[in-house]
Parts: sequence; structure tokens; C-alpha cells
Amino acid sequence: MSLSGLLRTLPTINAINSSLGSLSLLSRQPYSMYKPFVKEPVYNIEQLDKLIESGEAKKREFVPVKAARNDHNVSVFYDDLTSKFVNMVMVKGQKELARNLVEMGYMKVKQIQLAKYYEATTDAERAEIELNPITIFHKALENCSPVLQLTPIKRGGSTYQVPIPITENRARFLAMKWMILECREKERKIHFPERLAVELIDAFNNTGKVVKRKQDLHKQCENNRAYAHYRWG
Amino acid sequence: MAALREVLIFNSKCFRGVRSYFCSSPAFQYSSLSPNNASSNVQKLDFEESDTKRISKAMKSYMERAKIHDNFIKEQLHQYNIGKRHLANMMGKDPEFFTQHDVNEAIRYLFPSGLYDPRARPMMKHPDEIYPKRKAAEFDMNGRPFHSLFYTSKPNYYNLLHDLAVKFKQLDNHEDKMIYRGIQDQQASELFLFGTDWVSKESVESVLLESLTDSQYSNLIKTMERFAQHRYAVREKNFIMQFRHQLAAQTEIQKIPELMRDESNRPFTTFSARRKRSNATVKVIGEGTGLISINGEDILYFKRKQDKEQIIFPLEFCNMLGKVDVVATCEGVGMSGRVGSIRLAIAMCLRCFVDAETIERMRLAGLLSYDPRERERKKPGQPGAREKFTWKKR
Repeated sequence: MSLSGLLRTLPTINAINSSLGSLSLLSRQPYSMYKPFVKEPVYNIEQLDKLIESGEAKKREFVPVKAARNDHNVSVFYDDLTSKFVNMVMVKGQKELARNLVEMGYMKVKQIQLAKYYEATTDAERAEIELNPITIFHKALENCSPVLQLTPIKRGGSTYQVPIPITENRARFLAMKWMILECREKERKIHFPERLAVELIDAFNNTGKVVKRKQDLHKQCENNRAYAHYRWG
Repeated sequence: MAALREVLIFNSKCFRGVRSYFCSSPAFQYSSLSPNNASSNVQKLDFEESDTKRISKAMKSYMERAKIHDNFIKEQLHQYNIGKRHLANMMGKDPEFFTQHDVNEAIRYLFPSGLYDPRARPMMKHPDEIYPKRKAAEFDMNGRPFHSLFYTSKPNYYNLLHDLAVKFKQLDNHEDKMIYRGIQDQQASELFLFGTDWVSKESVESVLLESLTDSQYSNLIKTMERFAQHRYAVREKNFIMQFRHQLAAQTEIQKIPELMRDESNRPFTTFSARRKRSNATVKVIGEGTGLISINGEDILYFKRKQDKEQIIFPLEFCNMLGKVDVVATCEGVGMSGRVGSIRLAIAMCLRCFVDAETIERMRLAGLLSYDPRERERKKPGQPGAREKFTWKKR
């Protein structure tokens, strides 16, 4: 391949050997086809601008960059969190179905909000109603994200549920996971998009089952506050 | 006493016959060392002539091996030189001025090989390049080692670490003096380290003539890294740069193809790319209106939204959406692979139509990188690549 041939001729980062190209790795590291020093791509235009301005981009001059994923793009309709959410909704690799469900959900959100908008009489009321489903989704996730989590720690024969701090990624993951679980109705009478729309708007208003679940977790953490020091043994 | 010494010295690692560094000063330069032939050591030692001095068994067996090796290398060198002259005669060139490059060409011409790996093909090189170098005698005729760190079994490696420690102290002393005088001379080490990276383990091994474990190598690099972060590390720049090699800038590695002109004098480029068992050939034509053709059909050749977005991704990124035409042919299994290969090919072609800054932006966005990810193979004893059969306790 012309590309890999070119990459092979000139010296690049330490200890490169491969038949495909200088970025890939043979069986040494089983979890990634890329070598450890290869950097993640930055495809968001704003983030890229910031990177170049701050001078960080200069450091990457000599470092190869991973290929951009096929669910990333620079379209105005693209949202990072939505992309993650779609991946979590996806089952058995049916990406297109998952994406359609989520986008139908957003459409329903818009319909519900528009209905409220047209019913509103005063300008003040209209200004309060949020119409952008992406904004609603972001706010809903924020409202559903826990601040602490419980972890089982064994002390003296019994296992205690100890409250520990949570990372941003984990909090976001839990919020999305709970949202999806709540939307998968047991009786299957109401389909996923409708349920999602209702749940998102509820969470946006800080009500609903998902927010309740988060608050229950917080209550549990508060109750188990006495065991917090078990974290350090 | 002699028997005890033999027990202590009779270690296989001593008889590797590896070159040792006679370091008198703490700061020695690796590049200035000259090859030390084992046979010359024999003459220097002079022990064969003296009757009163007894040779230890260790030294005796070392001498035998060194002699054998030396003779072997001499023989190989002799054969190599004769072979070179033969080749020169065969190729009709002057034997006096026949270089290694000429030798390689001659071999390639006379012994054409269809083997894939270059290392498996026939070669004729100088014996020094083929046979690993060995250290000179590490101990004298009584079996007493010259190097104080001989019994670490890697004297050169540990000596290097000791050197670093000494240099570190020297730099600290210098810093103290500067602080005492009130001089604030801060020169960031990033300035002279930029664009370089630490040498590989193999390079270090070939310089030290000792094999290192991975942990020893990483220990060395960590120590050097810490040393290079010192405020006054620039004073030891030459020493540090011995262990660093120059990197090629990523944008320089990939040569941008030339713009060609077609019948209607419109500029165009072609690029072929691969992704996951699919390949695509894409022709991007400038002065266009944004027409996209894939295998003769419109962009609607791809049914999924994601795939269509991927085709547009590089065009949108470079603000070239309505300005160029794209003609793509793709083949291979799988829609995702086809789309990925087309995307890469479009991005590669667009390099000819944009400025250097945008090319660097594309590179940072991951548009110009070949995606090496492949489908993971199924393993025996498992239904899939990662999935396992149901675990039964009994």
C-alpha cells in the first residue's frame, strides 16, 4: 500500500514495526491495534482551534494520530453526547435502528414542547419553554447524574455499601444507563421513542423516575455516611 | 584460593567476550571508543612469555575462545574481500572502488529473490555487520576484573547510571552556585529536546554491548528523563543527545501528490485507500459544483445516514463541499469498510486543494490516518472473538 510504504521509509517514533503501517501493532498489545503513543483525534472544530491556539498542537507535530471514528463528523447536527447515547441504546450492532429510535425520541420531544408553546398565551411563558431537544437532553442528563456512588467493601466478614466519589464519565454513564432502562417498558405497549421523550422532559424538569433513582442513590449514600472511612481501610 | 576464584569467576557471562569500557573519568563519551580486537589484548598481556605467572583457568578458556572467534572473523573478512573482488569482476567494475552499495546491487542482479521479507533475501555484508561485536578481556591473567562493577554482570549499564548520578550532583552544585549569586538562568529543556525521542533498547544494547531487560531499559530512560528535566540540563546537552534520535515531522512523511489536469483543464488528483478488506479509488476534481458519484450512483448508494455523513465529513471539514467533484469506485466486503476507504481517499486528495495549515488540522482530526483496526479472529474453545462458552462449575 502506498501509504504504509511511505510511512515505513522515514524514521518516526521509537520501535515501529508492522506490515500494515506505522500506527498498527501486532499481537503484543491485545486491546488496541494502535501503539500506546498514538494520540486520539480531535474533530470538533472549536476544540481543534483551542488546541492550536494554546500551542498543544505543536507538541503533536511528531506524534501520529488515530483515524477518526466512523460515527464522528463535523456536521451542525452532530452531538457528542447523542452519539454516545445511541451507542448505549444499540443492541446486537444495530446502529441505524438505535439512531432512528433516539432521533424519533427527539422529534417527539419537539412535538410535545411545540404543543405547549402554541398553547401558551403570554410571551413570558413562551420564552420559558425550551424547544431544542438537544438542550433538553443535555440538561436532563445533568439532572440525572449522581454525585456519589456506592461500592461494596468487605470489612470483618460483612460487606458494607460505602459512598465514594464518582468520575465524570461514570456519572454520565449511569445517567444514560438509567434513562435507557426506564424507557424499555416491560409490557411493550408504548414504544421506546415515546417513553424516551416523556422521560427526557421529566428529567429536564427535575421530576420523573430517573431523577428519583438518582435521589434514592444520594439518600443511600447519606445513610451510609458513617462507613465512608472504610474507603481507606 | 585459586579454586575459589575459579568458582566465582567461572560464570558464562564472563566468557561472552564482550568489549568493556575502560573508564577513567566519570564522563566518558561512547562515540569516542574504538574497536578493541581481542587478539591485540593477547599481545598486550604478555603472559605466554612469563613462566613465573600462572594463568587462571578462566583466563585460559577465555583466550581459547577469543582466539577461535578472532580467527573466524579474520577468515570471514578474507572471504568477504575476495567475494567483493569476484563480484566486481563479474559486473565489469573496478574492484578497488567497489562499495557496499555496488555489492548489494550486484547480489540483487545475480540472485533475484521473490521472498517477501528483505532479511530472508541473499546478502553479502561486512562480517562486523553480521556477527555481533564482543567485548575485550574483562579480567587480567590472574582473573581479577578491570572494571570495578564487573560483578554486577552489566558493568557498562550500571556505570552509565552511576555517571548520571554524578552528573546530577554536579548540576545541583551548579544550581546552588547560581542561587547563591542570585542569577536566574532558566532554560527549558524542551527547547533542545523538541523533535527528538529516546533511542530504542536495541541501540542502547549495541552501544553498551550488554543485553538489557525491558525493565532495565525503562529504568534507564526514566533516569535520563529525570536528568533531562533538570533546570540546568542544557549544560549536559551533548551527553543527553547521544541517547536521543531525530524524529520526522508527521506532515513531512506523507508526500502530497501532484495536481494533474484533465481534458477540460480542470485540476484533479487520484488516491487509492483501504479500510477493513475494502478498497476505494477516488478522483477529486477541482472547480466543481459538489457532484458526488460512487460506483456510478449518487451518494444515495449508501443507505445509512452515518455512511453519507462520512463521505461529506472531509469535504465539510475543509469547506470544500460545493467546490469539488468526487468520483469514487469502491469494492470489497462491508459497507463500513467501503465508506471508510472512500473517506480516507477523499481526505488524501483534498490535501492538494488546501493549504498546509488545513492539512495539519486534518491530520489532528484523524482524517489522514490509515485505520488499522480489523475484525478480531475467533479463537478455539470460544464461540467468538471474546465471547466464552457458558461457564459450568462442575
